[in-house]
Amino acid sequence: MAEINPQDTEIVDFAIREHRSLWLDAWRRLIANKIAMLGLFVVALFILTASLSHFFWKYDPKSDLDYSSKLFAPNLVVTEDAPAVHIFGTDKLGRDIFRRVVHGGWNSLRVGLVSVSISLAIGGLMGLLAGFFESIDMNFWERVTLMGLLGLGLGSLSAWIAAQFFQIFLFSGLGIFSVVFQRWKAGKKVRILAFAVMGMLLGGVSGLLVGPLVGLVCGFLGLGVGMILARPLGGKLFSDVTMRIMDVILSFPSYLLAIAIVAFLGPGLEKGMIAIGVVGIPVYARLARSAVLSVSQKEYVLAAQAVGESHGRILFKHIVPNILSPIIVQSTMGLANAILSAAALGFLGLGAIPPEPEWGAMLGDSYKYLSSGAWWAVLFPGLAIMLSVLGFNLLGDGLRDALDPKMRI
Amino acid sequence: MGRYILRRLISVIPTLIGVTLIIFLFQRLIPGDPAVAMLGEHATQENVERIREQFGLNRPAFLDREALADGDLTGFFDSQYIRYANRLLHFDLGNSIHRRIPVVETLSERFPATLELATLSLLISLLIGLPVGIASAARRNSALDGVTMVGSLIGVSMPIFWLGIMEIMLFSVFLNWLPSGGRLSTGIVITPITHLLLLDSLLTGNIPGFVDALKHIAMPAIALATIPTAIIARMTRSSMLDVLQEDYIRTATAKGLAERVVLFRHALKNAFLPVITIIGIQAGTLLAGAVLTETIFSWPGIGKWVYDSILGRDYPIVQGVTLLIAIIFLLVNLIVDISYAILDPRISYD
Repeated sequence: MAEINPQDTEIVDFAIREHRSLWLDAWRRLIANKIAMLGLFVVALFILTASLSHFFWKYDPKSDLDYSSKLFAPNLVVTEDAPAVHIFGTDKLGRDIFRRVVHGGWNSLRVGLVSVSISLAIGGLMGLLAGFFESIDMNFWERVTLMGLLGLGLGSLSAWIAAQFFQIFLFSGLGIFSVVFQRWKAGKKVRILAFAVMGMLLGGVSGLLVGPLVGLVCGFLGLGVGMILARPLGGKLFSDVTMRIMDVILSFPSYLLAIAIVAFLGPGLEKGMIAIGVVGIPVYARLARSAVLSVSQKEYVLAAQAVGESHGRILFKHIVPNILSPIIVQSTMGLANAILSAAALGFLGLGAIPPEPEWGAMLGDSYKYLSSGAWWAVLFPGLAIMLSVLGFNLLGDGLRDALDPKMRI
Repeated sequence: MGRYILRRLISVIPTLIGVTLIIFLFQRLIPGDPAVAMLGEHATQENVERIREQFGLNRPAFLDREALADGDLTGFFDSQYIRYANRLLHFDLGNSIHRRIPVVETLSERFPATLELATLSLLISLLIGLPVGIASAARRNSALDGVTMVGSLIGVSMPIFWLGIMEIMLFSVFLNWLPSGGRLSTGIVITPITHLLLLDSLLTGNIPGFVDALKHIAMPAIALATIPTAIIARMTRSSMLDVLQEDYIRTATAKGLAERVVLFRHALKNAFLPVITIIGIQAGTLLAGAVLTETIFSWPGIGKWVYDSILGRDYPIVQGVTLLIAIIFLLVNLIVDISYAILDPRISYD
């Protein structure tokens, strides 16, 4: 029998191999992709010029006015006709278009970041919770919270009708009660009946204090609330309700909803940010939910559950890091979309208020004197919109390939 | 299948109620009193009260709890929202504030213009997007594929209002080939049948009318078609790529079938389903995108109308058109879902 000598065996120690995280791998794939690098370059250029000009190149749109130099075509050298260099020309009020385009970048960047943050914070969180509780059973305290809140919400109508603030707490208590007494020995029908009667008494009796008809209506409402609370509701309910609300927002074409919101809120860059942010909420909610649903069936999540890790820990330690890729990709593309929508709002006169330098508003302004043939006044702001949007889209596309080679759309 | 369709139909109802709720809530976002907005700043108190009474603006928004406490059950439900919903059920979108004529009336006049523009744009984007998507999937990583991928990203990134302005700049201001706005030149008459000018002029054999209408619609249709073309091309490509990796495609190729047969009979049929969904979504985007395109080209459709109404603070029109577009969008998606169920026997619907 041959003896195996430790010295003879070839040592293959994988731990010695250079350590590379998945993110580093993704980064290497990204920089290997020429188109993505082009996108990254455009995005970096856009962010740098926008923020540097904002902080180091003072511009006061209110005092920027020079009728002596209105509608000059772009020139690169000083001549007798053009006393100053305007590489993008000047507009109807004699303002240097280059300067306004560069400063307009700051507004676009702001709109993009703020509105994507709004959609991501609200939509992402809702989708995360919806997906999580749809696939993983709620524990006792989560169910208490859910049913308590559900009782609070459902009871608020009855409480409002009777103008009795305390009613919502009664219904909230009923919700919590139904969790505590989940194992009801008598069958399902008896349980529903019992809760219906309890709800009817809660609403009806306190409603009677106001008037007979109020008592009747509140009694009926309480009956319904009780029947709902009696059912063994869980995460699926939360997910269903959230997604149905998202469906309503999604049933408007996104542009139109943003335009409508701003039309009713009134114009302004800040209101535009809110409108674009709200419109984006369902996109992130759906994305986060479906990503969580696919991740939460993975073995490592089941293992974490099996060893009894808390839900918060499972959510933020195991699930969130694994759904970041699609969220990052979507946010990058979302920035592109937000810049485009903000420009559209500005163009329609619903976004930034003149003389604020904003690309869409600049276009909307110069569009009015199109027949004068001042092509430079429309070419450059539009080009700025297109290039920055394209940059984010190229980068997002590259990120998708780099972060998840399997997921190609 | 029948049950699935029925369930899908019923599921539209809560969404529809949600949509009307959102549009109703818009009204409450407006700062100031809608009655004053209707009458103008200098209205007398009496007139304001009369208008408030007439439109039910003195009623509570959703339910009247004071009426209930007084024992009045019908008064309980007599609220602004219920009145609004009731009017909607009777196809009454209210009256325009400035012109004082029913919104529905102007809507039916203006909708065909938008429909014509959107339909033509959708046709253009299908005629370009589908073949380009199929071709670049069939020749993956070729030069054509690269051009398609970059081109589609440029298309998606295109601010269509800017594209429209550049079109006008080039073809109307500098070259003077095409008219910069409107639907038809003055002096040209097309007998209305469907109110779609291209179709009407063809049906009546009115060739000069057709040419003129075509000249007017060309630029806005191309501008509006840009984004859908890019998206459809991209989606067709990726869907085809997925299908082309399937075993049955390899089998078909191994059998020695012509590439044309494999591509169109075996692959396209299966790749088409996701594309249908995208087309459905684009239909809504086209209607909404019309607000920008129609504004630039002075196209007398509902998009331009909404824009003018926003500037003129004529809120019933904005509400009415938003509702109409949302409903159309919902219906198109409903049709897409149902056709999905009919076209794809692999998916089982309980």
